Amino acid sequence: MYNKRLFWVGMSLSCICIFAVFNTIQIAGSGLDLTGSLAWRLLGRLHPIAVHLPIGVILFAAFLEILIIFKKHAAYRQAIQLSLLIGLVAGVFSAISGLMLSAEGDHASLLLLRHQWVAMGVLCLSGLAWFKHAELLENPTKRSLAGFRILLFANVLLLLLATYFGASLTHGTNYWSSEVSKKTTKTLLTKKTTSLAQEREPGLEPDPVFVLENEQLFTNIETPSMEDQADLQLQVRTILAHNCYDCHGPKKVKGDLRLDHIDLIMKGGESGPVVVPGNANASEMYKRISLPEGHEDIMPSKGKKLTEQEIRVIALWINTGAAWPDSQQVKKAFRNAALAPRNPVLPLDAAAYGNPIDKWTNSYLKAKKLSWPSQTDDRTFIRRVYLDLIGLLPTPKELENFLSDKKADKREQLVRQLLDREDDYAAHWLSFWNDALRNDYTGTGYITGGRFNITNWLYAAIKTNKPFPQFVKELVNPEKESKGFIEGIKWRGEINASQRTEMQAAQNVAQVFLGLNLKCASCHNSFISDWKLTDAYGFANIFADSSLEINRCDKPTGKFTRPQMLWKDLGKIDSMESRKVKMAQLAEIMVKPENGRLYRTIVNRIWKQMLGRGLVEPADQMDNQPWSQDLLDWMAFDFQKKGGDIKSLIYSIATSKTYQTKSVGLKDPNDIVLQNYSFRGSLRKRITAEQFSDMVGAIIDPIFPDSIMKFKPKYSPSFVPPGGYFARAAFVANNSFLIALGRPNRENVTTGRESQANLLQALELTNGERFNAMLKRGATKWQSRYPDGDSMLSAFYSLSLGRKPNSKEKAVAMKILGNAPSPEDIQDFFWAALLLPEIQIID
Amino acid sequence: MSKFSDRRKFLKTTSAATIAALGATMPLSGLLSSMKPFGKQSSADTVILLWMGGGMAHTETFDPKRFTAYSKGIKSNDVLSTFPSVPTVLDGVHFSEGLESVGNIMDRGTVIRSYVAADMGHILHSRHQYHWHTCYRPPQSVSAPHIGSWVARELGPINSSIPAFIDIGQRFTVGEGEELKAFHTAGFLGNEYGPFMIPDPTAGLESVRPPVGMSESRFEKRNQLYKELMNQGAMGEYGSDYHKESMKRSMEQAYRLLKSPEAAAFDLNKEPKSSYDIYNTGKFGLGCLMAKRLTQKGARFISVTTEYEPFMNWDTHENGHTRLADMKKRIDAPIAQLVKDLEQSGHLDRTMIILATEFSRDMMVEGRPELKVQEQVKQPDIINDMKFYGMHRHFTDGCSMLMFGGGIKKGNVFGQTADERPCKSIKDPIVIDQVHQSIYHALGIHPETNYVVEGRPFYTTPDGKGKAVKELFG
Repeated sequence: MYNKRLFWVGMSLSCICIFAVFNTIQIAGSGLDLTGSLAWRLLGRLHPIAVHLPIGVILFAAFLEILIIFKKHAAYRQAIQLSLLIGLVAGVFSAISGLMLSAEGDHASLLLLRHQWVAMGVLCLSGLAWFKHAELLENPTKRSLAGFRILLFANVLLLLLATYFGASLTHGTNYWSSEVSKKTTKTLLTKKTTSLAQEREPGLEPDPVFVLENEQLFTNIETPSMEDQADLQLQVRTILAHNCYDCHGPKKVKGDLRLDHIDLIMKGGESGPVVVPGNANASEMYKRISLPEGHEDIMPSKGKKLTEQEIRVIALWINTGAAWPDSQQVKKAFRNAALAPRNPVLPLDAAAYGNPIDKWTNSYLKAKKLSWPSQTDDRTFIRRVYLDLIGLLPTPKELENFLSDKKADKREQLVRQLLDREDDYAAHWLSFWNDALRNDYTGTGYITGGRFNITNWLYAAIKTNKPFPQFVKELVNPEKESKGFIEGIKWRGEINASQRTEMQAAQNVAQVFLGLNLKCASCHNSFISDWKLTDAYGFANIFADSSLEINRCDKPTGKFTRPQMLWKDLGKIDSMESRKVKMAQLAEIMVKPENGRLYRTIVNRIWKQMLGRGLVEPADQMDNQPWSQDLLDWMAFDFQKKGGDIKSLIYSIATSKTYQTKSVGLKDPNDIVLQNYSFRGSLRKRITAEQFSDMVGAIIDPIFPDSIMKFKPKYSPSFVPPGGYFARAAFVANNSFLIALGRPNRENVTTGRESQANLLQALELTNGERFNAMLKRGATKWQSRYPDGDSMLSAFYSLSLGRKPNSKEKAVAMKILGNAPSPEDIQDFFWAALLLPEIQIID
Repeated sequence: MSKFSDRRKFLKTTSAATIAALGATMPLSGLLSSMKPFGKQSSADTVILLWMGGGMAHTETFDPKRFTAYSKGIKSNDVLSTFPSVPTVLDGVHFSEGLESVGNIMDRGTVIRSYVAADMGHILHSRHQYHWHTCYRPPQSVSAPHIGSWVARELGPINSSIPAFIDIGQRFTVGEGEELKAFHTAGFLGNEYGPFMIPDPTAGLESVRPPVGMSESRFEKRNQLYKELMNQGAMGEYGSDYHKESMKRSMEQAYRLLKSPEAAAFDLNKEPKSSYDIYNTGKFGLGCLMAKRLTQKGARFISVTTEYEPFMNWDTHENGHTRLADMKKRIDAPIAQLVKDLEQSGHLDRTMIILATEFSRDMMVEGRPELKVQEQVKQPDIINDMKFYGMHRHFTDGCSMLMFGGGIKKGNVFGQTADERPCKSIKDPIVIDQVHQSIYHALGIHPETNYVVEGRPFYTTPDGKGKAVKELFG
């Protein structure tokens, strides 16, 4: 029986409820702190109970509707109406209690957000369904009926989805599915390790977990071996990492307790220690994880309860003394690349490939069942190799000569020629090293005398192809002209202990030459690697006059450590000696052949510069897996054996078929660091700020006047740049144009530049003064140099792309270059053409 | 049928309203941002930072103390303020002479008198400025972002034709310019979120117009040529290469920005003369005018500065009194007008305006009373020359800030400094972490917003521990 008054009351009530619900969100969000009150919490905790009512009732209504469909008479209409009403009211209450409950938690996880959104959708749909049904009762039409059924079943689907999310919140996402593949404990834990590892830490290898065996060993033997202990400790770390770090780790510290490091585990939380070594039953950690499911104090409080085996592992660990591994014995949770050099035997099945690099690539492709990517054509090759080696474009004549050259080894000869153009080569690679060594003409620290320029030394070193070991030694144990790298940037006043110049030196040497991040370990034991605070200080002490007091999180600890190389087996540093002597000792150790890391790191960097992606990515994390360990190891070994000849390395790479593959592009810049990368060819690159400036300087007009050069190299007497002299961008101080195009400010070490375009860059190119002034100057020049638009067009394409414009391009360009183009027309043509992807991208 | 059509209409509007409400409380970007609790309400959309670079003395501006007029032979130690105080619109609250206009609008905002700058051992302006703007003390192991970049990253632009982070009035060609550059950056957030610099507001329009000397039609033709050439070239080969895509996209954005009618907001000449004249006290005043115009069109974060230049503007190493009289003239009318104009156009409620400086000044104390630092200024005990009459030393222990709009309490005084030297904060001291978090709080940006850089979560304020000062909000 349907009553108009009831209808309007009900409708108004629903609307009020819906808006009250949203206002409740707002109150909860604005922190009026009602959320702490007992009433709030009690009501909130009713949510898991409360939701069952609308779920049951709405499903019942749907069930009745299905009966109507099959029985073809409307016996249950009134019952459905009542059910929907109850479902709606109960739904409103569930929603409100749900919001109160969510205030208890901290930050909205994605799962919680999804649950809330879908649940709100359910609420709205159930309201709409109820309205629709009321309308249907009054006036049953086929259309109304169809509309209602759509609403009802959509409501049911959404309800199921909301239920799924809700259950995932309380029971974990694989609560149901985990039962499906429950073979042995071993498999279960391994599976979990794998999937979670990939979510959280790319690069973390799944480790098999042998729980039951360990337990027997430990309970039966007096002193378990170091190996077994290490195994157990690793399991404990894995369990903690996967179940506890979210709330008890660096990002969130619930109860003031962190479990991501042994010191912090032992320190305990706001209610005191959580581990009593030797006595699991007295340890809060054990007590909490072994509480019954659903218990108020159970840990983890969010997500699944630990499995029986996991709890036993923790108990075992605590009962056997809660020991933690010594750094020598530890089975590391983080991948550590081998330090020693390695000389893999060249594959015998690659006789077709002369260049050893290609032999390895061939093996790699064979193993992956991939075919060799096709080789790039001559025109593309010459442009690419010119830009990669000397940062300039080939002149039309050079291009023509190369294309028409019939010699079989013309590419090798070309590379040789480019490497012999010492000044051009040095000007180009100067930018790479300036970025890496944080060297600039201007910048913070200079006005206070806390920073030192090394350009003179650096340019000469690059130009003369100084052997790499010598290069490193002169930086690590510098004379006056190369001391800037180790001296760092000294700010006046108090600075954080982790940023003292000695620490800066340690961090920067480690990053640039050893591909490891010591910055974390400069404040505390690293959370993302096995490096300890003492390791960082040990290394920094080499650069210090006297031993630095160890500061943990910028608080002095009163402790000290001796100066020491990061891998102390490589060689000793004499703590009694002066700073100069210590650094000299370090210099010798760094370049030892045994320090395979040094050579792998530089090889990887050079490879990355040329192929767009290192064998290892990120190039600052040399512990990551290279896409071909053999290739990396072989190249590093060969490089070291040949005395660390950079040009020779570049030659090998540039003359390889691997380098000369057709380039491939990436959709997303983040794909570069994906660990599941497989080699499909050189990566397409974007020209750098300097390459663009120099390109423009050679083709159109120098964008920087000689007067603003900060470094004026003395060119070799026999050298004349084919395009004529102009101030190359590498010699100019940073300015808004170069900044916009990606030159970093070299406040910190930069080992890779941002190559994506952005709005500020586009604005600089669209209406920036410097760029426009250059276009104007160039246009005036070209107008007097070329008789007509046609010759201008040909010249431009020849100079910039080494080809003729196709008919379509010509048609478009001639619209503006017409017959007697004005300087403005020429400017505009230059602008449009210079920004074409074909010019901006190194194919 | 009529009741159903009513119902249907009601249903329609209800559902639309519901969906709109859904949309309003939970923008999609919230799902994608690192931390955004469901339903967190913001009280501000725009931030205008009025940056008094160089160290603005609090006893000479918004926190006047006992006045000592100049006469030969007065003792330095006796001088707390070199200007008499004048009443403001708030009972019992006085400002220094020369700030009458700002005093008259204090019923729209809060004066904070207890800002405490960091103690970093040595006074170097740019270091303190770096700390103020990024909340981190240099040197840092990674490049720390400016607060404007954080805001640009988290919230994006309001009007896509107006860059999210605009910085007006600062040249880098001044002394310490390199140190200034060090914090005018988006750092590890990426160049996308860097500041759009407009060193001279009168030339601001040039930054958002086609190149000087290029007509609109020529600009259009040029862009057309670019598009057509692109289509004719070897484009297909590059597929969906991100270099190509980002170039296309950003050039498109730049073109739209330069063509947009909103770019007129940058044109100060379009402002009616009567209004222009009020703002026209100098570069800063015109910068405020530009900020007003941009806010009314939809800007996200604008910084307007009196410009830091060593020993110039607020950085008074001598002639403090004479210089301050001039500085106050530069800022008084424009700031007041800015607040009033935004109030009138209805923008003030959602615009947070902050006036701040890196530290204050005092005649005697360099640094803090308990932690004095190396003296940099000669200040004789007896004053015999006008040039020694003023606040010349760098004082970090008590400093003034103003905040308007964006949910800030109206007509409020927060904090207090001592009435006698040292005029340090004695009630409710507030530090930069709290200032930043209060701004983020108003904007609806989660206090633990962070990004992982080189394996380390880098927070908006160190370790994500900063807390907003709820008492500032009304």
